[in-house]
Amino acid sequence: MRMASRFLISLACVSALSLGACISRDEPILIGLAGPFSQPRGASMQHAAELAVTEINQRGGVRGRPFVLVIRDDSAAADVAVGVARDLYDTPGLVAVIGHLSSGASIAAAPIYNSGPDPVVTISPSASSPQLSGAGSYTFRVCPDDLVHGRRLAEWAWTQLGARSAAVIFENDEYGRGVRSAFSQSFTAFGGSVASEDPYVPAIPSFEPYLQRLARRGGVDALVIAGTTGGAERIVDTADSLGLGYRVLGSDGVAGLEAAPVNADGVFIAAAYLPDRRGSRNEAFLTAYQQVHGDELPDHRGAGAYDIVHLLAQAIEAVGTNRSEIRDYLAGVGTSTPAFEGVTGTIAFDENGDVPNKDVIIGVVRNRRLVTAAGQ
Amino acid sequence: MRLTLPLNTLKARVAVGEGALVIGIIIIALIGVAALRTLGETVTRELAGLTRMADVTNGLVVALFDELRAGEQYLTDQSSAARDAFQSAGEESYEHQGQLRAFAELTEADRLLIARIGQLQADVEVWYSLAHAQVDLGRRSAAVATATAVRGRAEELLNLVQDFSAAQRSRTEAIARSLEQTSAERRLLVWTVLAASILAGVAVGVATLRSVERPLTRLETAARRFAEGDLRPVTLGKMPEELQALGDAMARVSTKLRSLVADVVSEGERIASTATDLSAISEQLAATAGEISTAMIDISGGAEQQVKELEQSTAAIDELRMAAEQSGAMADRVAALGDEIHRLAARYQEDVAAAGNALLELGEVVQTSSGQVEELDKLSEAVYDFVELIKRISSQTNLLALNAAIEAARAGEGGLGFAIVAEEVQQLADSSAQAAEEITQTLQSVRTQVTDVSGTMASGRSKVRGVETIAQGAARALEEIVRAIKEVELAARRVREEAARNLEAAERIKGEIASASTAAQAHASSSGQVSAAAEQQGASTEEMAAQTSQLTEAAEHLRSLVKGFRL
Repeated sequence: MRMASRFLISLACVSALSLGACISRDEPILIGLAGPFSQPRGASMQHAAELAVTEINQRGGVRGRPFVLVIRDDSAAADVAVGVARDLYDTPGLVAVIGHLSSGASIAAAPIYNSGPDPVVTISPSASSPQLSGAGSYTFRVCPDDLVHGRRLAEWAWTQLGARSAAVIFENDEYGRGVRSAFSQSFTAFGGSVASEDPYVPAIPSFEPYLQRLARRGGVDALVIAGTTGGAERIVDTADSLGLGYRVLGSDGVAGLEAAPVNADGVFIAAAYLPDRRGSRNEAFLTAYQQVHGDELPDHRGAGAYDIVHLLAQAIEAVGTNRSEIRDYLAGVGTSTPAFEGVTGTIAFDENGDVPNKDVIIGVVRNRRLVTAAGQ
Repeated sequence: MRLTLPLNTLKARVAVGEGALVIGIIIIALIGVAALRTLGETVTRELAGLTRMADVTNGLVVALFDELRAGEQYLTDQSSAARDAFQSAGEESYEHQGQLRAFAELTEADRLLIARIGQLQADVEVWYSLAHAQVDLGRRSAAVATATAVRGRAEELLNLVQDFSAAQRSRTEAIARSLEQTSAERRLLVWTVLAASILAGVAVGVATLRSVERPLTRLETAARRFAEGDLRPVTLGKMPEELQALGDAMARVSTKLRSLVADVVSEGERIASTATDLSAISEQLAATAGEISTAMIDISGGAEQQVKELEQSTAAIDELRMAAEQSGAMADRVAALGDEIHRLAARYQEDVAAAGNALLELGEVVQTSSGQVEELDKLSEAVYDFVELIKRISSQTNLLALNAAIEAARAGEGGLGFAIVAEEVQQLADSSAQAAEEITQTLQSVRTQVTDVSGTMASGRSKVRGVETIAQGAARALEEIVRAIKEVELAARRVREEAARNLEAAERIKGEIASASTAAQAHASSSGQVSAAAEQQGASTEEMAAQTSQLTEAAEHLRSLVKGFRL
């Protein structure tokens, strides 16, 4: 059926050459984009992906065909993500998915993308839970995992900040729990003590009891937020209002806090990418991004999504639009084909679809901007 | 049901029939073993998956209950034990959810349910943690209010876990149903192959029996007609090679017997007429001898008349000699004819003997075939053993299922799903045993068929023996003909001898009459001698007449012997 229609299309191409019109050249290549786009943390991912698609289509698309994004909002919720995954999987002509943004959604959706007669590749820009490693041969990501983040935060707290005691407030999902465990293990291994590990969900009525109890018990040197921007905003605000002067560190999910209407100056945030990253590639990306979105700066999710779109364009240019051939090509990036140089650094996949050679850098909030912290 | 294979011989037919049955039974055995093995493997695999899933689900339920209990407990008693239990049960519960997600057989509804369970658990944990912090801060009433606010979600969480458990139970039932269906399909397959091979075996058996029975009946009819003396040509039709040889031999025998009997009849007629001629000549001879005798008596009475009488007597003697010569020639011809008949009869005897040998071979073939049928019977004995093995396996499976059911009962609520599986396994084992019983019955009917076939073969053997007897009868009749011909020869030889002696006597008389005529007057004593010679000749003639009548009798006997044949 598909062969026949292709044949007809090629016939149409031949007969329409003189008119300069060709159906198959106009037929778009569909790329899924899944994440919590209704939330602030999803904005940069969508913007950067759209920017990359525009760039590709402006230079003539891939194999003469334009990229079109199929955008689905998963609200970063596992149950919504399962439905989104099924929808994208079944979309005819869809060749790959960028996403999901969060670990919980990625883990819940991975079995669907990896199963069935025609599995589809997913590349997440920011799902960092270690549980995603080995979720399936079609699951990739371009960010370091929580273990790297947690270790880096513990190292920074211990060596750069001289902290000897710490408390963790974590978002109660795969991601938050992952970072919490990684941090606590590393920090304890350095010799530090973890005073408390308290969970939250976005709907939590108040952080005050956690922070008040922490203060009542003598306080800590460092307060680690293993969660996302919204929670971090409220924690920083509450701590500020309670007058607690703890050094605050956040995992990469916290990125975006710098733009929030709270006093976040001096908060350290671990990230796979920071906008002030050096290099002409990043500068060009920033310029292009700000041309469209003004003062807004891309975060690690946006930069990752931007790299993923260009990586997919390279893969489809090389092997075409067959889902499994795209997967095979991606699995060889960094081994059978050269590593991909993107704005977030070098992307080379290991056998789990992870990027073990990518490091985490520590940023610090200065004047509502997240900049690379001194000392690294 | 016409087979195009080269099935011209009984051996080939029996071999093909047996082969079909044996191959069918081997195929059934192989299919049965393979079906049981794959069924066993499937059951084991499904059971292992279900057991692991049931374990994980049970673990999840227990961990969630523990977590909620510890969460509540900490509100009234701020012990570190309750706090640790709350945390470790929570972590354990997430671990179980991760393990559940790894099961490939989960449906999308299951995955949604697990995701929802994880989210609810996260919410409940946060609220309890918050309440714990409030209790730690001494805000007891606020803590109780926080905990109360999340109880609805805690209940929903427990309900969802129970829903998941129920979904698993229905999955277990679905798997059991599909296993049952698989088993039914396998059983149907085995039955189909069994039925097909029995049909094939019966069809070949029936075809073989027909191919033996019909020609045998035709041969029997033909042989009976021979026995009744009807030697007209018979059409036997197409038949297996072994019987075809017999039929050909019978046809040859009938042709040759027909021509032999025709020869014998015509020669017999000729002998009879020759004998009649001989008899007439003998009577004539006797009359002449009587005349001589009378003449001699007259001679001794008067000399003058004697010369005249002697002259007459010489003429009579010449006549006598001529008659004797004729009679000798006729006897020679009879002897030559007898030789011819004898030679023909001896040659046909060989043909009849060959036909007898062909019958003996046929008897051997039938004997071998019934041996092979008995062999087949022994083979089905082996299948009985195999079925016994299947029965043993299913009774062991039954026992295992019973054990499993007991273990499941011991496990209580959590083992309910497993108990259903155990029950299904038990039913499967029962079905296997039943199937084995049915195979046993079918085999019994196969064996009955085999016994019928060997019975039919025995009857075929006795029919062959009947034909054999008839052929032997034909051989005996031929021998009798040969003996009768020998008698004819003997009689003819004697006639010839007597005729020669007559001739000799006539010559001697003639000589003596000649010498008597030269010295007639003085030889009264000589005429006495002549008279004696004439009397001797008379006796010899009577002897010849007696022999001639014997020859006539032999010829009559021969004629009566061949009169029974219809040509």
